[in-house]
Amino acid sequence: MSDGRLDLRSDQPPLVIVVGSGGVGKTTLAAAMGLESAAAGRDTLVMTFDPSLRLKDALGVSAASEDEEIAVPTAELGSGAGRLDASLLQAGRTFDRLVERYAPDAAARDRILGNRFYTHLASHLGGILEYMAVERLYEVASEQRYDRIILDTPPTTQAIDFLEAPERIVSFLDSGALQIALRPWFGDSGRLRATSGLGFVGKGLERFLDRIVGLQLLRDMSEFFRAFGPLFDGFRERADKVRELLAARDTVFVLVTGPGETRIPDTLFFARRLREAGYRLGPIVVNRVHPDFGVVEPVVDGAAGDGVELFRWLGASHRGGLAELRRLLPDDQMLVALPVEKDEPTDLRSLHALGARIQAQLEGAR
Amino acid sequence: MSLFDRLAARRLIVVTGKGGVGKSAMTAALGHGLAARGRRTLVLEVDPRENLHQLLDVPPSGGDAVEVAPNLLLQNLKPRQVVDWVVRKQVKIEMLVKRVQQSPIYHRFVEGAPGLKEMAILGHALRLVRGETPGVDAVDTVILDAPATGHGIYLLTASGLFSEAIGEGPFADMAREVAEFTADADATGVVLVTLAEEMPVQEAIELRQALEEKLDRQPELLVVNGVYPALPAAKVADAANDATDGAPEELLDLWRHRRAVNERELARLERRWSGPRVELPLLPVDRGPALVADLGGLLDEALAALDAEEGGR
Repeated sequence: MSDGRLDLRSDQPPLVIVVGSGGVGKTTLAAAMGLESAAAGRDTLVMTFDPSLRLKDALGVSAASEDEEIAVPTAELGSGAGRLDASLLQAGRTFDRLVERYAPDAAARDRILGNRFYTHLASHLGGILEYMAVERLYEVASEQRYDRIILDTPPTTQAIDFLEAPERIVSFLDSGALQIALRPWFGDSGRLRATSGLGFVGKGLERFLDRIVGLQLLRDMSEFFRAFGPLFDGFRERADKVRELLAARDTVFVLVTGPGETRIPDTLFFARRLREAGYRLGPIVVNRVHPDFGVVEPVVDGAAGDGVELFRWLGASHRGGLAELRRLLPDDQMLVALPVEKDEPTDLRSLHALGARIQAQLEGAR
Repeated sequence: MSLFDRLAARRLIVVTGKGGVGKSAMTAALGHGLAARGRRTLVLEVDPRENLHQLLDVPPSGGDAVEVAPNLLLQNLKPRQVVDWVVRKQVKIEMLVKRVQQSPIYHRFVEGAPGLKEMAILGHALRLVRGETPGVDAVDTVILDAPATGHGIYLLTASGLFSEAIGEGPFADMAREVAEFTADADATGVVLVTLAEEMPVQEAIELRQALEEKLDRQPELLVVNGVYPALPAAKVADAANDATDGAPEELLDLWRHRRAVNERELARLERRWSGPRVELPLLPVDRGPALVADLGGLLDEALAALDAEEGGR
């Protein structure tokens, strides 16, 4: 039981989920924590979504290795190190793979893949990447090949999207509602049927669907959902299991955010949502904090003066933001501040150094 | 015609880029810029967590189009509003409208139907410039603070996909109109915002490629935001510096490195990006109306400099 405690050198927690808004450095931190975890002897998998080109190179993942776990060369971590694998999930053909994986037979698969609604729209279904992420996470976690899995999350504007997306997609695909809505319209032959078992509400709805959506789309959708039928039960069942896994006592969420006061409302909002939803929030990591250089003497040179002034301002502003965030968070909420790096760490050595610094702060705060 | 005037002549400007690059501040700055040029402008936000009002120094708009300055309006739009409006227009009988809108099936359809929200957002912009929105006089230009890049390209292509997939019905008609509107480079402009850092620059380059492939068009402007200032010549070298200027060596060291990252990425853009591009500095100003005003002034200057450069050629 870790109850939100994160210790990369111990065997707890076995599952770490790195969340946060887009552009705050989640992927880099996930990789850094992965290296520290492996260095401590834990067999570790880092699942990433959106690494920079240089980080991809360092981890040895590429589009070609999509969906596979690739061994990261970790010779420099020393003899006691555990295995470190990395994987990369990308948008693109995710939905096709899902269909291929779960269709009961080739005919069912082809019916879905050839459907007009599917080819035009379903592959763009909002949340599909997020769904695939947790789906894959569940699969890998069930196999128990690793001591620890660190899941980076897809880039979303709002951090909360990640947790809600799988539920959204399952509810859209769920056989119940839409099939009921569509079934009265079309017989098995795909022809429009006049009768309806839905009564008054159903009639209103039918009229709505007809006027608004048009019959062709309805026909395509009806066909799509019929073809998708055999996959539905599995979807719902797995979604429930994934939720259980995410809400398990030894699954820890790491919330990454940027410095500065303007980020604070978002950070507090997401921290509260996580707790309310029953997830264990571990440390909040404030990334890329500019160091505080204190008062700097006036500089003679004009351009140098502006630059020095800028760095002073950034340092003071970030220090103020951190203090304010600390004040607003519960006392027992762990807060880790990471200084801005001279360059985004992308080689294994500097990533490991970053991971070790995170671990040191986690230990120091205890 | 100057670059800013050409931009201002558009009916819709989509401001897009990776998360955290300053899209909203740029949207607000462009809004002020267009309004100052006499264009009746509406800045449109679709993020359910409103923040543009803070940058424009007004209370939350609560979903309505509100006037924030002369010629400048702000609206926080929930795509649902637009879908509900289409339903109301079609179904007409209020009791039936309520039934439909309360039905869980309808909710799921609106939440889940791919492309529907994107089309609704752009459809709303189209109605605004045509003066078809009840209670709002026609606006000249809508500036949309678009979702982050990956979604940005989908925002622009979804309506085309939607109209191809549907074929008939009022949503199909709307989708067709929206697709035409966004494909017309004279009507719709795309402003891409990035930082001079690896990931945002990569995304900017990818978005540009996607725009070319899928819509056969290019962004009107690339804004490279938050650039660290260049070091004075004497401070560029790693050698020990004149200690009399009082700046700590660690500060100069960090400055030098952050600037080097910016220069590396600016060089990459120089190689891989053709078309109008401006750089705006990182400013020691809190995010808020003052930052928007400063950015607006700098954007004006930068665009004027681009015009002069073009004229000089």
